[in-house]
Amino acid sequence: MFASLFGSKEMRILILGLDGAGKTTILYRLQVGEVVTTIPTIGFNVETVTYKNLKFQVWDLGGQTSIRPYWRCYYANTDAIIYVVDSCDKDRLGISKSELVAMLEEEELKKAILVVFANKQDMEGALSKTEVTNALGLTALKSRTWSIFATSAVKGDGLTEAMDWLTKQLSSGQ
Amino acid sequence: MFSLLYGLWKYLFRKDEFFVLIIGLDNAGKTTFLEKTQITFNKDYKGMPFDKITTTVGLNMGKVEIGSTRLVFWDLGGQEELQALWDKYYAESHAVIYVIDSSDPDRLEESRLAFDEMLKSEALHGVPVLVLGNKQDLKGCLSVSDIKQEFNKSSSLIGKRDCHIQASSGLTGEGVDDGINWVVQCVQRNVYRRPPHSEEIS
Repeated sequence: MFASLFGSKEMRILILGLDGAGKTTILYRLQVGEVVTTIPTIGFNVETVTYKNLKFQVWDLGGQTSIRPYWRCYYANTDAIIYVVDSCDKDRLGISKSELVAMLEEEELKKAILVVFANKQDMEGALSKTEVTNALGLTALKSRTWSIFATSAVKGDGLTEAMDWLTKQLSSGQ
Repeated sequence: MFSLLYGLWKYLFRKDEFFVLIIGLDNAGKTTFLEKTQITFNKDYKGMPFDKITTTVGLNMGKVEIGSTRLVFWDLGGQEELQALWDKYYAESHAVIYVIDSSDPDRLEESRLAFDEMLKSEALHGVPVLVLGNKQDLKGCLSVSDIKQEFNKSSSLIGKRDCHIQASSGLTGEGVDDGINWVVQCVQRNVYRRPPHSEEIS
């Protein structure tokens, strides 16, 4: 009975991050388990992903500078945020950090769980998850449960661990 | 009017909030201990099953309320590369719980060295430390006196701060009550040096 109760509730998850971080690739990796060829997202993609009996409504929002201001339209009732970072794009980690900080200040996201994907680990020169943690200033978050995973959406590495963690957090936080 | 009443309500029910850092090597049982603590002290707490607890990479939060004291726990990952993140939390911590896996004598020295590193930090000066010899439910594990023998080497670094070693088991709940009560006592006594978090708590 417990499981059926959980099974019926759809969790709302947002996938956010700068453009070219790999958000859409992650979304479709999670949904169909394949690497799809993506084009920059203008607007959003939304899919229902079922993972271990939990149903997620996953929103992948475009990450380009001009459309980032629209992220906030989607914040209400969000259970978790997947924040995707291109671990090779050292120049823009600062921007990524300020977008993240601004986002987490939003009242509507106060209770949302944060999981960071240090993505593109398959590429050479990718920063480790500790380096990404420091660059994003995650240790300054003192009132929110968060986790970081080294992922490669192209290879599929790290996604299972990350989703396992997320499912556990979401199902225990009920 | 509403905000006025709300303000009064908040004032009446305000709690002294203290931050407690839970650290130690990976697989010491930090997250399990935190879960057990919350189950013990929070009536309606519905935690995750213990067999579902995995390696922490990041921060787990926990809260318990004991009288007018609220403890907020920061449970950090213990893997070697993550130990670099511990010190980011020191300045704001009111107490530290350092967890040791008593069933792993091979890593006891490694654990003590990480413990020393922590004690050396200026930011933790005068902050009480609770050391847990965890996993006491396992057969053949190290006793508190075994652990003391190794950790006595740190005594000069411990200095004058409150420090207490306690046997515990996150699974059975042994030592959870005593340990947490000790922490509560210490943070209250230490109020002048580290006053509680005074921001409005929601």
